[in-house]
Amino acid sequence: MRYPPGPEIQWWLFAGSFQLNCTHQSNPYSMKTKTEAKRLAILKAAADVFREVGFERASMSEIRARIGGSKATLYNYFPSKEKLFFEVMYHAKELELAGITHTLNPDADDLKGEVLHFGQRLLAALYSPDAIAIRRLAIAESRHSNIGKIVFEGATVPIEKQVAEFLRKGMKRGALRAADPKTAAMQLLSLLEAELLQRVLLGIVSSVKPEVLNSAARRAVETFLSGYGRR
Amino acid sequence: MYVKKSDFKRRSILDTAYRLFRAQGFDKTSIAEIVGEVGGSKATIYSHFPSKEELFLECMMAAAENYMAGTLKHLGAPCADPGVALQDFGAGFLSFICSPEQLEVRRLRVAEAARSGTGRLFFEKISTLRAHVAAFLSACMAAGTLRADDADVAADHLGALLEAEILEPLLLHVREVSPEAEEIALAVKRAVAAFLRAYAPVANRGDRCEDARDDGASESLWRIPPEGEKESDSASDAVSAGT
Repeated sequence: MRYPPGPEIQWWLFAGSFQLNCTHQSNPYSMKTKTEAKRLAILKAAADVFREVGFERASMSEIRARIGGSKATLYNYFPSKEKLFFEVMYHAKELELAGITHTLNPDADDLKGEVLHFGQRLLAALYSPDAIAIRRLAIAESRHSNIGKIVFEGATVPIEKQVAEFLRKGMKRGALRAADPKTAAMQLLSLLEAELLQRVLLGIVSSVKPEVLNSAARRAVETFLSGYGRR
Repeated sequence: MYVKKSDFKRRSILDTAYRLFRAQGFDKTSIAEIVGEVGGSKATIYSHFPSKEELFLECMMAAAENYMAGTLKHLGAPCADPGVALQDFGAGFLSFICSPEQLEVRRLRVAEAARSGTGRLFFEKISTLRAHVAAFLSACMAAGTLRADDADVAADHLGALLEAEILEPLLLHVREVSPEAEEIALAVKRAVAAFLRAYAPVANRGDRCEDARDDGASESLWRIPPEGEKESDSASDAVSAGT
C-alpha cells in the first residue's frame, strides 16, 4: 500500500492556471520571457512529480532532476516544496472560488434557493482533494511560512466580503432580519462546513459524495435562515 | 505505591513525547528518542501506549480531555433557559480552543492526519466530546426548550457558530494574539443568539414557519424543498464510503 495516499492533483486545474500564465508571452527573446519560461517549466515538472508521487513524497531534488540546472536556481524561483505546491495548486482554486461567490444574486426571488445553490457549489469546490491539500498545508505550514496568510487573504476574506454584501442587500430589502452582515456571513460560512470540515481535514473521508455534501449544505442553510429569517 | 510510580512514568513519557512531537513532528520523532530522554526501555513505553500513533493521540488530546471535562459540566442538565448553559459552555470551549497551545495542537493534528493515519483516532475522540454536547441538546429538545431536530447536527452547528468569528485567523497565523475573555464572551453571545434563534421551539416562532406558509408572499421565499431520505443523506455514509 502506498503510504500515505498523497493528495491527488486534478489535472484540469493545473491546465487552467498554466494557460492563464502563458497568455502574457509576447517577445520570445526578452529576459522576462526567459525567466517566465523557466518558471513555467518548473511548475510543469513540479505538477508532474506531485501527480505521480503525491505531495508528501515529492522532493525538490526530483523536480530539479527533471528540469536540469542547479538546486540554487530552483530554490531561487521557489524557496520550498510547500511554496511550489501551493503555486501549482492555489491560484486556479482561488479563481474557482471567486467564480462561485460572484454568482450570488442578491435580487433573486428565491433567497433560500440562492444561498443553497451557493453553499453546495462552495462545498464541492472546498472539498475537492487538491483544495483539501491546500487547506491542510495552509494550517500546517502557517507557523513557518506565509501560506496561511495568503489563503486567508486570497480566499477567506474575499468570500466573506461577497457573502456579507449579499446578506446586507437581503437585509435591506427585508428578505432577512436586520443584523450585522459581516457576522452573519461568517456564521453562514462556518455553518456550511459544520458537519464535514473535521472529517475532511483529518482524512476520515478522502472524497465527499455530492449527495452527502448537498444535504449537509441544506441543513446548514436551513439553520442559518431559521436564525436570520424575518420575524 | 506502585501505581503512583507508574502514573509518574506515564506522565513523564507524555510530557517528553509532546515536546518532541511539537518540535519535530510525528515522523521524525522515534520511540527510541523518547526512551533516550525518559529513560527505561521501549518495553516500558509500549506497556503504557500500544503504538506511536496512540502515544501521539494521547499527547495531543490529554489537555483537551481534562479541559473539556470541566467545560462540559455546564451542560449537566437541561434547564429552563438553555441560553445560560450554552453561554457558559461556549465561553469555556472557545477560550480553550483559541489558546496558543491548543491552536498548535490543532495545526499538528491536521498536519499529521494526512501523514500518519492518526486522523481517525482524533476524529473518534472529537466525536466523543461532541456526543456530550448532542446529549445536552437532545435533552433540551425533549424538554421543549429547543425545537426537536437531529441533535448531532445541532451540536455540529453550535460548534461551527462558536468558531465562526475567531478561530480561522488564529489558526492561519493571520492573527497572533489570542482573544481576551471579553472578546470571547461577545463572540459567544452572538453565536448562542444565532443558535437559539435557529433552534427555537416552534411555538416561540408562531409568526414564522408553519404560519408563514399561509402567506403567499413568504411561500416562495421560505419554501423548503422536499427532503430526501434521512438515512441516505446522513454524513455517516461518507465515513463508511471513505478510505
